[in-house]
Amino acid sequence: MTYQTQRVAYPYFVVALLLFALQLVMGLYIAFNYFYTVPQAVVDVFPFSTARAMHTNLLVLWLLLGFMGATYYAIPEETQSELAWPKVAYAQLVLLSGTGVAALVGFLFGWTQGRPLLEIPTTLDVLVVVGALMFLANVGVTILRARRFTATQGTLLSGLVFLALMYLFGMPFYENLAIDWYYWWWVIHLWVEGAWELVTAALVAFMLIQLTGVERKVVEKWLYVELGLFLFTGLAGTGHHYYWIAAPRYWLWVGGVFSALEPLPIALMLWDTWQSMKESRRPQPRLTWIYVIGMAVLHFVGAGLFGFAHTLPQINYYTHGSQVTVSHGHLAFFGAYALLNLSFFYFAMPRLKGFPEGRYDERGGHWGFWLTSSAVVGMSLAMAVAGVLQTYLERVQGQPYIVAQSPMRFWMFVVFAHGVLVLAGALLIIRHLLTLRPAPAGGS
Amino acid sequence: MSERMAKLIFWVGTLSSLALFLALTWDTHHAFAALTHADRLDPNVVAGKRVFEKHNCNDCHTILGFGGYYAPDLTRAYKRLGEDAVRLRLESPEKVFADSYRKMPQQHLAAAEVDRLVDFLRWVSEIDNHDWPPQDSEGHWKASTRRLVGAAAMSPGAALVSQENCLACHALGDAGERRGPRLEYVATRRDADYIARYLADPQAITPGSAMPRFDQLSESQRRAIAEFITSLAERRTP
Repeated sequence: MTYQTQRVAYPYFVVALLLFALQLVMGLYIAFNYFYTVPQAVVDVFPFSTARAMHTNLLVLWLLLGFMGATYYAIPEETQSELAWPKVAYAQLVLLSGTGVAALVGFLFGWTQGRPLLEIPTTLDVLVVVGALMFLANVGVTILRARRFTATQGTLLSGLVFLALMYLFGMPFYENLAIDWYYWWWVIHLWVEGAWELVTAALVAFMLIQLTGVERKVVEKWLYVELGLFLFTGLAGTGHHYYWIAAPRYWLWVGGVFSALEPLPIALMLWDTWQSMKESRRPQPRLTWIYVIGMAVLHFVGAGLFGFAHTLPQINYYTHGSQVTVSHGHLAFFGAYALLNLSFFYFAMPRLKGFPEGRYDERGGHWGFWLTSSAVVGMSLAMAVAGVLQTYLERVQGQPYIVAQSPMRFWMFVVFAHGVLVLAGALLIIRHLLTLRPAPAGGS
Repeated sequence: MSERMAKLIFWVGTLSSLALFLALTWDTHHAFAALTHADRLDPNVVAGKRVFEKHNCNDCHTILGFGGYYAPDLTRAYKRLGEDAVRLRLESPEKVFADSYRKMPQQHLAAAEVDRLVDFLRWVSEIDNHDWPPQDSEGHWKASTRRLVGAAAMSPGAALVSQENCLACHALGDAGERRGPRLEYVATRRDADYIARYLADPQAITPGSAMPRFDQLSESQRRAIAEFITSLAERRTP
């Protein structure tokens, strides 16, 4: 940490970590519902739908708070100046966390917009927009005042502006269901396969420059290529969500061709990260690299390979909206965005605490990574087995939904069992991060 | 690779994809009216969509394949189940799913809310989305008809289904009406004993069902109908 105002990032990370734990608890309850018959009296009061709304909104909230904290950490370093309004940054955290809590409590009482992932009611949407504007203004003014522009911070800022703009498309009420889903994907797809990828690429580039001492020009050159490929495949690749929503037939071609190319930029990012680590001239804690490389690998497997597996229309006709989608969703979100945040926390938190050269005591931290990551992979594989069963029994054979679900219940129990391990691993990570100690003298 | 080349890749990649995406968005907007039958999108359907959102149906059910994966897809629910069965599930889920291992919440919908949801689901069931989902697709039902043609002529159960005019309410293959659940759907869920008992007195099993009693038939005739219906399943789970 070089600038005092970078400190505002720390409480963002802490809140994000607590919400992460809560998200996993809700996830466990959801998996439980799949194999155990929850009695009618409980379902009437706390249905699956409410638990799912909480699980997904907690995910979005903790990831976004993590991104914002990471941005507040990175921007002073990139602009070589203090943050414009540190107090506004704290106020923004209080506002967004408060909005999040209000939304979660509201869900319990049926206060919802009723659209998956965008359940937050319009009144609270306005508060989210206010929070986003405070954030963008703070970052924007800092950059403008410093008058120092880098490709990394430009990417970060444009990713965040893109993210905020797309949120607006999810706010209105659409009368036509097909048009509703058309723009719903402008939020969801253009976030995860557009704006968030920009944020990821920028934060990874920032970390690589700081961690390795590799020349900025080299890192930023690859950043341009990655961004070009991300946006080339990701923008038109939105079409893979338009196959079956009553949109014209050409989307089968556009969605199929462009999304088949989507693994390319992720593969490039994996290669680029690996090269940078090998050329690194600065010793770093081993655990930090495990996180950064782990993120690059699982990002590629979860988003790239699992995504490609069911993106072609000929396959998607049978797998669309099944547990196959769920499997891809979980591994992709964990590999790409949960691990991005956790990597950044491991990079930034020791520096925020002022440990010399960012070194920290790694003991106890490795278990968290390996337990959580392998359990998420196992969970996604169990979901994939359930999904293939569903695809064959329901979609190919034509069995009714609930009949086809019957043999899937065992695999959803396997999902639950892995979920318990994910939660245990995450609690280890959270405890380790919140109680970081400096590296013991003489150790690496 | 030079930095100049890297920047070129960025701009060409981004702008070409963006231009294509926006152009197709423009065209798609013009195509939606015909593909979704927007002329049938009356205020009742829109009100139904609001009820659908108010009760957060979409976080358990998928529709057009999107949403929660915890409950059946609703895109063709109206055609698969028929209007009466849809109403029954909305009004008394605790009764319909009393024996099921998965429950649906009783949300105490007002009568008007049920009407509007039915309007919404009817409209959705008619949109042209390349015949998705496969299990409810027209292609699937046509194949069912082809399988029937050979076997049905020799079956006394099939003759009784025809004589009793079951298809005045139920769909079978690509024929019949859609007031009750289609017979292939019944076939995969129920065994012959259950169907035979149901024919004798539907009210005893599902209070409020719109299905008439067939107690004027003999027990062996009801049994023949039941066995014919169960034979329609491509595959049963024991």
